[in-house]
Amino acid sequence: MLGFIIKRLLWMVPSLIAVSFLAFVLIQLPPGDYVTTYIATLAASNEIVDQNAAAELRSRFGLDQPFLFQYVKWISGVILRGDFGLSFEWQQPVSELIWERMALTLVVTISTLILTWAIAFPIGVYSAVRQYSIGDYVTTFIGFLGLAVPSFLLALVMMYVAVVQFGQDVGGLFSPEFQTAPWSWGKVENLLEHLWVPVVILATNGTASLIRIMRANMLDELHKPYVTTARAKGLSEFRLLLKYPVRLAVNPFISTIGWLLPNLVSGALIVAVVLSLPTAGPLLLQSLMSQDMYLAGAFVLLMCTLTLVGTLLSDILLALVDPRIRFD
Amino acid sequence: MANKKGKGLKGLALTRRQLMAGAGGLAATSIVSWSASAQQAKEAPEFVQLVADKKLPPLAERLPKIPLVVTPVERVGRYGGQIRRGLRGSADHNGILRMVGNQGLTRWNLEFTDVLPSVAHKWDVSADSSEFTFHLRPGMKWSDGHPFTADDIVFVFEDCLANTELYKTPPALWTIGGQMCKVSKVDDVTVKFKFAGPYGMFLQQMATPLGQHPTLFPKHYCTKFHPKYVQNTADLAKAANVPDWGALFRLRCGDIEIPSRWGNPEKPTLDPWTIAEPYTGGATRVVLKRNPYFWQVDTEGNQLPYVDGIVFGISQDVESLMLDVVSGKIDIQERHIDTLQNKPTVAQSAQRGNYRLFETINANSQQMAIYPNLCHKDAAIRAILNNKDFRSALSHGINRQEIIDIVYLGQSQPWQFGPRPTHPWYHEKFGRQFTEYDPKKSNELLDKLGYTRRDGQNIRLRPDGQKLFFAIDVIPTLYPDQVDALELVKRHWSAIGIDVKINTIERALYYTRGDNNDHDFAVWQGPGGLEPLIDARDWVAIHPQGSRFGLPWATWYVSNGRDGQEPPENHKRRMKLYDEARSISDVKRQGVLMKEILDLATDAFDAMGICLAPNLFGIANNRLRNVPAKMPGAWSWPNPGPSLPQQYFFTG
Repeated sequence: MLGFIIKRLLWMVPSLIAVSFLAFVLIQLPPGDYVTTYIATLAASNEIVDQNAAAELRSRFGLDQPFLFQYVKWISGVILRGDFGLSFEWQQPVSELIWERMALTLVVTISTLILTWAIAFPIGVYSAVRQYSIGDYVTTFIGFLGLAVPSFLLALVMMYVAVVQFGQDVGGLFSPEFQTAPWSWGKVENLLEHLWVPVVILATNGTASLIRIMRANMLDELHKPYVTTARAKGLSEFRLLLKYPVRLAVNPFISTIGWLLPNLVSGALIVAVVLSLPTAGPLLLQSLMSQDMYLAGAFVLLMCTLTLVGTLLSDILLALVDPRIRFD
Repeated sequence: MANKKGKGLKGLALTRRQLMAGAGGLAATSIVSWSASAQQAKEAPEFVQLVADKKLPPLAERLPKIPLVVTPVERVGRYGGQIRRGLRGSADHNGILRMVGNQGLTRWNLEFTDVLPSVAHKWDVSADSSEFTFHLRPGMKWSDGHPFTADDIVFVFEDCLANTELYKTPPALWTIGGQMCKVSKVDDVTVKFKFAGPYGMFLQQMATPLGQHPTLFPKHYCTKFHPKYVQNTADLAKAANVPDWGALFRLRCGDIEIPSRWGNPEKPTLDPWTIAEPYTGGATRVVLKRNPYFWQVDTEGNQLPYVDGIVFGISQDVESLMLDVVSGKIDIQERHIDTLQNKPTVAQSAQRGNYRLFETINANSQQMAIYPNLCHKDAAIRAILNNKDFRSALSHGINRQEIIDIVYLGQSQPWQFGPRPTHPWYHEKFGRQFTEYDPKKSNELLDKLGYTRRDGQNIRLRPDGQKLFFAIDVIPTLYPDQVDALELVKRHWSAIGIDVKINTIERALYYTRGDNNDHDFAVWQGPGGLEPLIDARDWVAIHPQGSRFGLPWATWYVSNGRDGQEPPENHKRRMKLYDEARSISDVKRQGVLMKEILDLATDAFDAMGICLAPNLFGIANNRLRNVPAKMPGAWSWPNPGPSLPQQYFFTG
């Protein structure tokens, strides 16, 4: 087990380097650079950038240097000094910008995950055990509905209804008076009052697929001889279900942890933009749109690291939960 | 409106002596009105308590000896309240600038025709318009109580703008003939700007956002990050996690158009409100609080601003900003929401949201300019596009009224280019030529030019057998209306046998294609409707990113003939006239020169347009008063700033 983990960790190094290079290439690929985008953005409001200033920006940010030179300069800073560079737009260190938003991103993602699981898990089990019953059809229908409705649309509709019908403020995660207040019980309560909107919207979207996976896995297991045997031995139905088939069917839930971590950064991006959530997603989108290279690069690098770590974690967990994987 | 402007412009056409007398007279009136009301001078309630607690000097010590007296738009207001306004998630620092940050040495009047005293209470101009002496307000203070003097302005020019580590080249506004102006201190409240040559537009340029450098960097604060004044800037930069002192300086002191200008609550300013919650990458809102040392008073001697503060909410998405507007969560907004498509929704919800609409006079001239690339790389296409008859055939082939009715909700009129009809320099022929819809005439012209052969789709063929086909570059995310309008143009042109591809591209690609001179046609909004001399890119090829009919010509002009392509004689004459017009301050003479320029441009007919840029709108809460019912909207007149938000107030 330990050897396996060490081997996996060592493999991460070349993949990360390859990925960081690819990320940099991808961000460079669109025509123009940060300065062009900056000028274009301001021009959209008929604002004019001083022409000397534009040329100066380009040389200040090193955008007039060859691509490889920019990459080496950036990646050596990351590796040697842990310095992810300066965001062009905000003139702030990239790491500062990202960490600032991490805590709330974590809150939103994890609460969404918990809610998704809390809904999908029992419904999945139920609809497998009572296959083709009315309850199965109803929950499946609702699940598919949630999957089919684009979450940003749901967000917009919910916001419109809340604002226009109830005069409530649903955007963001805090009311104005708590936005910059230090943490207190009041602020936590206020967070909870706002949190349910994005969490429900996001969970609606994620449950359907998990329900289906859970249902399918359960159905595979339910008809296996060991279930019949256990039932024949007189085990109560509830205990039987939880102890044997559910335990086996739960694997896909653990696998989701693998993609949960990168989701911390990029998940729910559009919903976060629509709802003006102070999470990492909108910042990532902004940095890509404005070609703010180092910020976007750091985000992509972070996402890759999280994917790799997440996959490793879920592999370890799977091995712990399911002995069959361990012995392979 | 036209009448008013005429007067204003005449007011500008003063000789030096008249100007001095006029400015002196103005100053005198402000002294009189001030001393009359100095005794009962009033201030915001929050300061009364602070003064009583001796935490803040009394009002008389905080105000300059000659404060700027502002005449409120409607009436004298009352203190209190917070203005709620919206910003977009990214690159919207200028949204703050427009509301609070336009405190230059001069400022615009409401009509956008003349400059008024602002930080400088009067000025003298040398006879050849190359030397400007500004008289500052004695006793004026930065928002931290430190005196604002001539030294601050000298510091900006000698140690900042002229410092090649901070500004590789000084901003273009401060240079004439490639040389930056020399700024010298005469005494504590007098500074002299000396240019290498005449600079007729200088006073107006100082009222625009890019002209605010003199009042941007407080010397006593910014020297803390300047290697000339402190030794350890390298350590400071390292501690702040930025690469060098220049980055640190920009992070702490900002610049005119960068987000960090609003990211440092410690930096003293001259603005009516100062930053309390900064604009940074992670911010979800920006809050500004009243500046206790603000140097303006109303006609009764009450210190401005009336409103306690401004709260800018940051919406990642413009649609959610719209939602805030219609639900009455915004007190004043025009930025981002003022598209014609939004107007019906906004107007419908006015009662529920408890707001009213005000009008912004579009400073643009043309809503959608279609620029043929007269310097096209392909010689055959270049020859076709450079034929004036060909271009007029294209122009006659557009059914402008249909586009106006369908895309612009009937709110405009057919139009080409030039100063708007309300402007004193309005040039009718330049604005209206070739705008009638006349496909028959177009066909005749095209036939006469020899494009008589057609292919199976009825598209005309060039003599070399190729289709008459052009791509038109447009950015759908920036101006969605232009894509709709182009769809109609495409239909109109195919009726006269011209094939067009609407090349919808991303904005950075649009600029890159322009820089490489790769476009056949490109569309953009045509500026300069209210400020035909400040932004003349559509009638003189002077803007290497904006004069899209001849970008290489503009490069040639900007580089003094070193790069780019040499333009034809007609253009060179216009450039010469333009240079002359800019170097003089006599507005009447400027008008004469401008007419000559526009005559030449009419004759050349470089580009075509669809319709006059329609006026836009903004919303203001019904309780928020002193917001003018009509104001210009332009970058040079960065609305709503020059309408002085410091005199807006909330009724009880």
